[in-house]
Amino acid sequence: MASELGDGERPAPTRRLAWVSRELVVIAAGSVGVILVAMTLQLSFGAYPLAPLDAWRTLSNPAVLGNEAAWRAFLLGGTVPEYETGTLIVWTIRLPRVLVALLVGVNLAVSGAILQAITRNELASPFVLGVSSGAGLAVLLTVVVFAGLLPFLPLFAALGGGIAFLLVYAIAWQGGTNPVRLVLAGVIVSSVFGSIQTGLFLLIEDVGVAQGVVAWTAGSLVGADWAQVRMLLPWTVIAVGSAFAGARELNVLTLGEETADSLGLSVERVRFLLSAVAVLAAATSVAAAGIVGFVGLVVPHIVRRSVGTDHKRLLVGCAFAGPALLVAADAGARLALNPAQVPVGIVTGLLGGPYFLYLMRKHGGFGGFR
Amino acid sequence: MSDGKDRAAAAARPDIDAALTATNLTLQYPDSEAPVVDEVTLTVPRGQVTALIGPNGSGKSTLLRGLSGRLDPVSGSVTLGGRSLDEYGDRERARRLARLAQEPSGPDGLTVEELAYHGRYPHRGFLDTVEDVDVAAVNRALGTVGIEDLRDRPLADLSGGQRRLAWLAMVLAQDADILLLDEPTTFLDLRHQLAVMDVVRTLREDDETTVVLVLHDIEQAARYADEMVVLGDGRIRARGGPEDVLTPALLADVFGVEATVERGRYGPRLTMIGPADR
Repeated sequence: MASELGDGERPAPTRRLAWVSRELVVIAAGSVGVILVAMTLQLSFGAYPLAPLDAWRTLSNPAVLGNEAAWRAFLLGGTVPEYETGTLIVWTIRLPRVLVALLVGVNLAVSGAILQAITRNELASPFVLGVSSGAGLAVLLTVVVFAGLLPFLPLFAALGGGIAFLLVYAIAWQGGTNPVRLVLAGVIVSSVFGSIQTGLFLLIEDVGVAQGVVAWTAGSLVGADWAQVRMLLPWTVIAVGSAFAGARELNVLTLGEETADSLGLSVERVRFLLSAVAVLAAATSVAAAGIVGFVGLVVPHIVRRSVGTDHKRLLVGCAFAGPALLVAADAGARLALNPAQVPVGIVTGLLGGPYFLYLMRKHGGFGGFR
Repeated sequence: MSDGKDRAAAAARPDIDAALTATNLTLQYPDSEAPVVDEVTLTVPRGQVTALIGPNGSGKSTLLRGLSGRLDPVSGSVTLGGRSLDEYGDRERARRLARLAQEPSGPDGLTVEELAYHGRYPHRGFLDTVEDVDVAAVNRALGTVGIEDLRDRPLADLSGGQRRLAWLAMVLAQDADILLLDEPTTFLDLRHQLAVMDVVRTLREDDETTVVLVLHDIEQAARYADEMVVLGDGRIRARGGPEDVLTPALLADVFGVEATVERGRYGPRLTMIGPADR
């Protein structure tokens, strides 16, 4: 042997940022661009119109940016100091809505990426494990049966999503689980919970409440404010942080459980923990914005086509593209039929459906995670 | 058959240097009624190539899963380096013992090199970056298998044979001293079968690495293995050097074929005549 390092050798990819590919940078930059445009629209249009430049000027207003009391009010709750109307509208109504959209987008996209890896199925979504129907049922129960507990609605949504997920896991468990059984169990739980949900629907007597619930199940950011930001932020940090920490485990899981096991991955434990992270992310966003469909399905799909299957890249890509899609969709939802507002979930559904139709036509054999 | 039982009993041999030992191992799947592997006792000699052969459904692959700890035994145990396999942590076990599943599949876009780096998973700590040892192990594995030129190709672009070689490289990069290969040549064209078996021969020359492989092709097994273990109905029916094990009587008894056995240049040669009357 000539040497340990022959001609075909390459230096170790040890540099910290070697995994950042050009495609990933393009996705990130494109997403930031979309976010900036959508944000400008969101901040300036509405019942109190502002010129785009004025909106940004208000946003960079040092009287707010540098005011500790204002930030305390935003991030910890409390009374917002006195400002002029434009400033108040931008800072307490329009900006938090954008922030909620960003956070919900991150959560849904990351949750989808995790679940697609775990089930090795590109068509899996945050709601395939029953999170959506569980959360939806919990919300309806709260509204119809336990109306006194309405202030705790988000909490119940997350709880319902979590319970449904545990139920799915219990049904799928047979001395271990596998992706197919998990998906099937998700279908079982979803259809039963969905039926109960529809049944409860007919019990609502107040038309206003019924309409609110419909909007919520369709996914809506109307009325989102700093309270939602405060609720989302810590959970988002935890969920996204854990997802990044588990990126290599996700990679190994996509090789199939036989191989993952042979490589020394504790398949069942890792799969359970990562599912829990995905449920946490999805349930938090359900609690804040209702059931926004297709984001968790489409975003990982689009990002994977561009950056490949490595989950470090994929998750970072999702953390940019998810918010971009949701903020843009919400801008559309708010402005399309102005002054009427459409739930954002309807817009994402209208965008997501055709995207899959296009894929189906263009690539006959997509769907499997191979 | 008393003869078979004697042979099975002889499978536990305290005199040989054991890499891996199964003792009274009984394996069963959760949804099956009868055990697939029934009270098998087997000593795998260190540094050698052991081939498991047997007809379909004889329990070869199941035994391999049991030996790798993938399937928990109903009774009996597997011992690796003097310790029971279930005392090992998952990663610790994976550094000692690697198994290549029958038909592994990965994401289409994964490149050969990325796949090989996954073989380093048990060696890398939480959030560890790629170290020089990892790079060296991956390069060595790709070199041994002879697919350095495929490094940057995605799995989807490769032929079935090339893909199998890529998986073999991943298992080699794992740097375990015991390799369990489940039908590594099945469904491959001749050229790639030989390429895979060439790797096995390289490993055979290396005294450190122990290989246990399931093979369908009896002649192939006889040519490349030091030891052959013949399974039938979940029990060991014979074991030993290829020359001793492969007899017309065994082929008729276990495989149900009438065949002649001659001594060829590369080990015993079989000529199949037809199904045996039983």
